[in-house]
Amino acid sequence: MLESTLAALQVMFTLSGAFFLFAGVVVGLIFGIVPGIGGTTAIALLMPLTLGMDPRNAMMLMGGIMGAVSAGGSITSILINTPGGAPNAATCFDGYPMAQQGKAGAAIGAAAAASTLGGLFGIILLIAIIPVLKQVVLLFGPPEFFMLALMGLAAVALSTGGQFLRGLIAGGIGLMLSFVGYSGVSGTVRFTGGSEYLWDGISLIPALTGMFAITEMIALSIVGGTISKDATTTRVTGVMEGVWACFKYWKTLLQGSAIGTVIGAIPGLGGTVAAFLSYTAAMQISKSPETFGRGNIEGVIGPEAANNSKDGGSLIPTLAFGIPGSAEMAVFLGVLVLIGVEPGPMLLIQNEGVVFSLIIALSASCIIATVITLLVTRPLAMITLVDVHIVAPAVIAVSLVGVYALQNSFGDVVMAVLFGILGYVMMRFGFPRITLVIALVLGELAERSYHQSLRMADGDWTVFFTRTTSFVLLLLTVACLLWPAVQTLRRRAGLSKRAV
Amino acid sequence: MFKFALVAAVGIAATWALPANAAGFPEKNIDFIIPFGPGGGFDRTVRIISPALEKTLPNKVEVVPKNVPGAGGAKGLATVFRAKPDGHTIAIANMPGAAIPAITGEPTEYEVDKFTWIARLATEEYMLAVPAKSSIRTIEDLQKLGRPLKVPSTDFGSTAYAASEIFGQVLKFSMQHLVGYKGTNDYIVAVIRGDGEAAVAPVATLKQFIQSGDMRAIFTTEEKSSVEGVKSIGELGYKELVGLGVERFVVGPPGMPAETVKILSDSLMKAIASPEAQAHADKEGFAPQPADKAKVSADQTLALYSKYKSALIKK
Repeated sequence: MLESTLAALQVMFTLSGAFFLFAGVVVGLIFGIVPGIGGTTAIALLMPLTLGMDPRNAMMLMGGIMGAVSAGGSITSILINTPGGAPNAATCFDGYPMAQQGKAGAAIGAAAAASTLGGLFGIILLIAIIPVLKQVVLLFGPPEFFMLALMGLAAVALSTGGQFLRGLIAGGIGLMLSFVGYSGVSGTVRFTGGSEYLWDGISLIPALTGMFAITEMIALSIVGGTISKDATTTRVTGVMEGVWACFKYWKTLLQGSAIGTVIGAIPGLGGTVAAFLSYTAAMQISKSPETFGRGNIEGVIGPEAANNSKDGGSLIPTLAFGIPGSAEMAVFLGVLVLIGVEPGPMLLIQNEGVVFSLIIALSASCIIATVITLLVTRPLAMITLVDVHIVAPAVIAVSLVGVYALQNSFGDVVMAVLFGILGYVMMRFGFPRITLVIALVLGELAERSYHQSLRMADGDWTVFFTRTTSFVLLLLTVACLLWPAVQTLRRRAGLSKRAV
Repeated sequence: MFKFALVAAVGIAATWALPANAAGFPEKNIDFIIPFGPGGGFDRTVRIISPALEKTLPNKVEVVPKNVPGAGGAKGLATVFRAKPDGHTIAIANMPGAAIPAITGEPTEYEVDKFTWIARLATEEYMLAVPAKSSIRTIEDLQKLGRPLKVPSTDFGSTAYAASEIFGQVLKFSMQHLVGYKGTNDYIVAVIRGDGEAAVAPVATLKQFIQSGDMRAIFTTEEKSSVEGVKSIGELGYKELVGLGVERFVVGPPGMPAETVKILSDSLMKAIASPEAQAHADKEGFAPQPADKAKVSADQTLALYSKYKSALIKK
């Protein structure tokens, strides 16, 4: 293992190795920044290039991309409320309000630092559990997936921002939308109205781009002015303040990294679920949960730590069994085959060198991407001081082109616009968008894993309680739900004591 | 003058509108459609073959792999089905996958028997395997189980689902499907984890799990088993199941000119034989057949699966 690590480091410091790593980071940042397309697209596009390339150089390129994408995506989430990719959507909730308050520098600083630290955390954890990889993957089956989805959905109740009933309605709509399309469990097509486009369900990227970017641009165009309402901060400062905030809120950072790694390790969940779960978890441990959604820096640190640490995590099932832990990994498996490495349970045994090249590239990429991000923050943040009547059309155009480029599908563009309008209506009538989005992200998983659990247990629903991992997750969910109530009670008890 | 221009314009337009001259094929870049997302087995095959095909085609054009995923592969196949039959749009298709909707009577926007069959590229036979610690060791154990065997798969109507149903019918054991897994490796791991009891998957994929000691093979559908210590289904006395597997074909829109088909078919055969494609041969399971033979193979597969129609219809 040590030998492979050293060998991989040597590759990184060769001219070609360093070149491919740097190229990967730049490509990753650019694909991260452009809304719609992300790491999956970047890897898929560069895949043919790797045919016949030296496997270790190919790993430098791929690792560079994977580590950099979410750092790039956070920039646009914060500055213009336009998630660079689905995993960055959760960063919009608090990152963008910070930009509106003229604190874009601090938000980007926090996001960049959280990405690096989260990413490194994920990799360290991955290396630490390499000896027991298989056992870890086998801990999570359908009942556990269901419990994780339930945990995320339970958080809906806490993220309604004081609008409890409206939050639940929005969550319900989100669940219904998540059930559109072909259901593998029942083998039926639902709520598609006969449209071929809806067969695969509502794809997340157009929906999220609409809900965040387009909704916000509609709202901004109506109000006018600039994104940053604080005209005194014409100089972007506070980047280091943001970096330090990661250490101040180290609990949020660690929690987010751990969530990211674990979710990354579970096949079929990926960075988006990780970021949203981490966001709601950050809210739960925060001392001031009521300021979430209005520019709380903890709401940036949590999801950003998670969406980068998931890269290390998603390598876990890939190395143990050759199952992709995320969409990027699915395409990456194709790259492995093209360079002559068969993914599967023998990967780590037969190709340790390749694996460690990737791990080293991923770690280096997390750091390089952050340095570049911090360097370009100031000029980029100026966008928040430009008149929105110039910014909004540009953002809408770029977002829609990005959404189209994802699958060359015009249906995706229509979907993004419809979600933009829906988002604006919700905003106008005081319905929280976050609950709809969480339900939309988790609905399919909850349904599928629920059915699978019952089938594997011959219809016996106690399967959710009799398996240790599943039961522990249930207890955690209950604890999360009760925690705010307990805190309120304690606060009241404290107050009454003082009153006496 | 005006008249002359008009005549010239009509003349040019007419040459334009003439059917593509097959002798000049290919005249422009060829879109090679992959009806699935990037990173899977189909994607891989096309990306390995395309550069080799560029070199073996008579004219210098590019072969551009294009992923058109959606609706379980039906979207990409429908795209080719509707394309101009000039040979510049072709697709990779699997049998029986492309035919299963037709067999079970589900509506699709293409008719599988009307495609132009250009070539067969590869075949993959199946293996049935159980977790290493399972008490099931033989086909008799499956038959004596006394309850349905739990078999996970990706989806109703997926090729592995169909194959396991046919195994159940011929070998006489009942099964319960657990569907909804995201891919082959995913449901193999589901078996190791204990969600299900047996996995049906291509030999090349399951072989690695046998090597790593996680799974144990019961049989393969190969002519002669390629896995040490494992018998093929023919050796076990079930000749009718020999060769049951997935075949990868290249298809084009209905009504392609015969000369174009021949050029494509010949070039594909040469491309597979080229050293750069052969470097991947053992993992790809290349079993090339030119157009005429490919059509026969496709018809045979269609007939075989149609015979077990009742097994494929969703219960």
